[in-house]
Amino acid sequence: MTTENYKLVKDTPQGEPSNLIIRLSDEAYIPKDEANTDYQEYLEWVAEGNEPEPADEENA
Amino acid sequence: MSTIINADTSNGLKLTSDTSGEIELQSAGVTKAKVTSSGLQNASGSAITSQAGKNLIINGNMQIAQRGTTGTAVPGGSYLASDRWKAWDASDAVVTVSQETDGPTGQFTKCLKYNVTTADASITASQFGMVRQMIEGYNIIDLGFGTASAQSVTISFWVKSSLTGSHGAALNNGNEDRSYPFAYTISVANTWEKKTVTIAGDTSGTWDTDNTAGMIITFGMGTGSTYEGTADAWQAGNKFQPTSTVANIGTISNWNVTGVQLEAGTTATPFENLQYGQQLALCQRYFEVVITNDGNGFYGTPGAGTDVGYSNYFYQTTKRAAPTVALAAGGTLPTVQVSGQSGFSSYASAGVYARINGGTTISSEL
Repeated sequence: MTTENYKLVKDTPQGEPSNLIIRLSDEAYIPKDEANTDYQEYLEWVAEGNEPEPADEENA
Repeated sequence: MSTIINADTSNGLKLTSDTSGEIELQSAGVTKAKVTSSGLQNASGSAITSQAGKNLIINGNMQIAQRGTTGTAVPGGSYLASDRWKAWDASDAVVTVSQETDGPTGQFTKCLKYNVTTADASITASQFGMVRQMIEGYNIIDLGFGTASAQSVTISFWVKSSLTGSHGAALNNGNEDRSYPFAYTISVANTWEKKTVTIAGDTSGTWDTDNTAGMIITFGMGTGSTYEGTADAWQAGNKFQPTSTVANIGTISNWNVTGVQLEAGTTATPFENLQYGQQLALCQRYFEVVITNDGNGFYGTPGAGTDVGYSNYFYQTTKRAAPTVALAAGGTLPTVQVSGQSGFSSYASAGVYARINGGTTISSEL
């Protein structure tokens, strides 16, 4: 069981859905690439029943 | 038999001819190379091919340390000192891992140190400490592991520890369900010793040959029964070391390693010394830190009016996978818009520079 927490990233300025999530412990941006081991940990975290925080209205 | 060409120390050139169609090249009566119908071979009969890239271990001489040179090992494992080397301490011990300026004289100047400052007097079944390097699947394709054509591999390394005796290590697949635990003996405390182990290729199991972890070399630092295995045999499961081998985490101790090489064949050849820049580039496929040199940042152009401003950063080396980007603090940070294998793009609010600070890290480690 990880103690990490995550947050979604708001849509891009072009209005496209972001392909990233934020790991809150270090504010790192994690791409949704299944070969990325940080994203694999995120997927395991979600599979444990956790949900990421919603995206900020204004990220920048 | 073969036709033998011997550089004899008493008589000079000494030729022994036969009709085998093969030639052996000898120095003082000792065979050094052969030419047979299969081509050029070494003394043990293995093909002599291009040696570039023969070492499947990256940063085996522990020279590159982009993150820093020391840190405290944690249960989930982390990269603390020399690049590509991940250390774990999932026990009650306290362990510091560092890059040290030390090594066998005249051969290596850096090593990785696993320093147990508080011991775990009672290691339970699932507790463990270890040091690992995960090898990308693309780099093990020619070994043929998981097939009937699996090649033997040879691991060589220099090691020094305050603890003598039979220490443990293992070769594992990236899926962590195949293991070959093996032991090596440290004869004299606090003295550099070179170890060599040859392992027959695994004809079973799944060994990924893509951009995920294909193979793992594991140096066990002590574990309970869960991760102990039978020595010198391929077996199912994720095993870190053979039973009855030294548990470094059980004693205040240190263990140091450098010159790690994993290569195809049954012979340990000299360590493949790469130029610093070559090795740095190999490491940067997995991790890179933004260096600005003056404490400032790389800036984009602020957007005019209500337009956002963008900044792009292109990596020194194409990453293994789309990497995780951790922006270093300093000023108003932008939002990362895209992280791809070639670079990342970020944007800031209108009128604000999108700023990429030195110290920003990009990671696609295995």
